[in-house]
Amino acid sequence: MNKEDLLYHYFSKSLTPSQETLFYDLLEKDEAFKAQFEFESNLKRVIREDENKKLKTKLQGFEKETTKAKSKSIFNYSNLAIAASIALLIGWFGYNSFFGTNYNELYESNFENYPNTVYTITRSDTINAIERQAFVAYEAEDYKNAIVYLNQLDNNVKPYLDFYKAQSYLKLNKTDEAKGYFDKVIAENKVFVAESHWYMSLIYLKEENKTEAKLELKKLIEGYNYSKEKAKALLIELD
Amino acid sequence: MNKVENITIEDLKKGSDSLYKLIYDNNRDKFINFARRYNLKDDDIIDAYQDAYIVFYNNVVDGKLTTLTSSISTYIIGIGKYLIFDKMKKNNKTINPDFDLSVIRNEDAVISTFEIETEDLTTEQELLKQHFKDLGEKCKNLLTLFYYRGYTIKDILELGDYNNENVVKSAKSRCLKTLKERIKANLNS
Repeated sequence: MNKEDLLYHYFSKSLTPSQETLFYDLLEKDEAFKAQFEFESNLKRVIREDENKKLKTKLQGFEKETTKAKSKSIFNYSNLAIAASIALLIGWFGYNSFFGTNYNELYESNFENYPNTVYTITRSDTINAIERQAFVAYEAEDYKNAIVYLNQLDNNVKPYLDFYKAQSYLKLNKTDEAKGYFDKVIAENKVFVAESHWYMSLIYLKEENKTEAKLELKKLIEGYNYSKEKAKALLIELD
Repeated sequence: MNKVENITIEDLKKGSDSLYKLIYDNNRDKFINFARRYNLKDDDIIDAYQDAYIVFYNNVVDGKLTTLTSSISTYIIGIGKYLIFDKMKKNNKTINPDFDLSVIRNEDAVISTFEIETEDLTTEQELLKQHFKDLGEKCKNLLTLFYYRGYTIKDILELGDYNNENVVKSAKSRCLKTLKERIKANLNS
């Protein structure tokens, strides 16, 4: 096998063990071979940089489309015009119910399920199998089973578990249970405290309890940085 | 292809704009929600998300990731965390410059084998970049397929632009030679 073929197999990730030995041997002893290897490695890096730039432009385009679509759905002029016409038709009572605080819409536009950022699922996991199953279920949006598994684990050892229980209950529309766990997370004051205040405010929003929602938002703004800007904006909407 | 959870590595490698967009939209809000804890501006979060997406994609095409053992968001968030800490470290913000970034990698076992380049190109690479840009389209395409997309000579042959494996091989050698000669001429002038 000539040197060019060796390099070809290296970059194609198809070196056999004996070729690999020869490859590293040459890299150490043969200056010309080393120079050619470095040249091709640099070229690989340069091409990747070039492709990354193209992909970045593509992603920036996606971002523009997404932002545009999102702002459209939040403030849809034509829907507002239709709503206004209907309100005029059905009088003051109707008007008030259309233009009063739309809690549900505020909830929907602010609620995002919290992703799994605490447990990495790998194929070879054998230890902590229950936790693995819990987060596999959570990521698969199978919140019922996520709760079953999370309940089998000790929150004292892993204080983030209650937060994910709360998230799961929230997704199952069991807000009382969710509130209970968010409260616990806040009281324990270890992890996900700011996040819990945020989600508590959203629950109160869903329950149309403006006072409590505002209280949670204020606690969040005063004590933490998480979702601060969003919380401020929401507070203004509620005032 | 409608559901993001059904996406395989092969789909990702083949890639299509609609697939990339689906992945982008599906993981965007999760990433933003996660990154808010680091008190970054919204624009910086989106920038980090896009960079993490690119690193994830690079590791797929480079064969570092052969099967998806976690959801795509887990990978992107793991990479994003690393990139955010790296950026904070470089900007001397919040974390100690002595902070060992490998801690993040170890925490996120899924990305421990990933290649995450955060260094700028060297002078030599910059020169190479300049001359690569000036190569003919056919050469650029061939070299990109081989060095970036991980196509073998056989895969390239199957695309139908060449008659046999030897023709592909010699075309690749010629492209490399041209590139080398142009760099040499540039250095000598």
